[in-house]
Amino acid sequence: MTELSRARIRGLMGEVMANQGKVLPDDDAAELREIGFRSLDFSELALRVEDETEEELNFDAPGLRRIATVGDVLDFLAELQRQ
Amino acid sequence: MSDLATRVRPVPPSTVVLVSGGSRGLGLAIVTDLLDAGLKVAAFARTVTPELAKLADAHPERTHVGPVDVTDLAAAQAFVRAAEDRLGPLDGLVNNAAVGQDSLHVHTAAADLARIIETNLTAPLQLTRLAVRRMLAQGRRGRIVNVTSICAQRGFPGLVAYSATKGGMDAATRSLARELGGRMLVNAVAPGFFASEMSAVLGQTQLDQIVRRTPTGQLTEPAEVLPVVRMLLCDQTNINGQVIVVDGAASI
Repeated sequence: MTELSRARIRGLMGEVMANQGKVLPDDDAAELREIGFRSLDFSELALRVEDETEEELNFDAPGLRRIATVGDVLDFLAELQRQ
Repeated sequence: MSDLATRVRPVPPSTVVLVSGGSRGLGLAIVTDLLDAGLKVAAFARTVTPELAKLADAHPERTHVGPVDVTDLAAAQAFVRAAEDRLGPLDGLVNNAAVGQDSLHVHTAAADLARIIETNLTAPLQLTRLAVRRMLAQGRRGRIVNVTSICAQRGFPGLVAYSATKGGMDAATRSLARELGGRMLVNAVAPGFFASEMSAVLGQTQLDQIVRRTPTGQLTEPAEVLPVVRMLLCDQTNINGQVIVVDGAASI
């Protein structure tokens, strides 16, 4: 399985936001609530990662509830690829 | 994670719609109606009937049809890919394919129970998952209409497993509408018994009794369900997570 780098995931996250006319800030500490990155945006990002890795990523909802910042998103998806 | 959002844009009308079980009855009528409304339609069923094939011949640039058993996920996936190659990205789904039942629960074979649940509940959930994943992955919005039944809300003998599956789809409709957070509109249409179905299993006396108890004085016809399906796919209404009953108020 191809594993996407954190930087590549960040690039895809930027594409998801740009698709909605939003901008992904450079700061990993940026709050998702502040930048308007919603749960379904996360799903869209996960599906884009799947598309590049050709590996389905399945996960339970409780893990998502701890995600609050851009960095959390990147860490979560990077870690998920290793499981 | 935050779901506070920037104002969500309305979900646009569907333009390319996948219809399962589109070869006869209500499914065929839905395919016909959507084509008449100018939409592109991909329709599959276990068998492509001459009627569906004729529709496809009449609208070759706007239809994609094929024989697919809705319980065969791999075949459904292949069909969707081919349909999107031909018609463009899907932004609508009508879960219509289902098998009926006419047997008391105690006399229904275990294998038949499993088949009814697989066809009427598991398969549409799988097809929905497939369609939603394709739409979400490309940042698209879309609409889903589940064809359920009045059986989900009222009890009828001989329809235990069937009713359970339709109730399951009604419940899934509500949860999907919540889960998809306004990116997709998810609704169900629950027809009352169609005259043709009823006459197949009930006698004239029973039919007359049902008609007498229906305020509109008639059983439902497929043509009366079509405008509701079309509205849910095409109109700007903000209806989401609802089950719309079309039964002449027989059930109230």
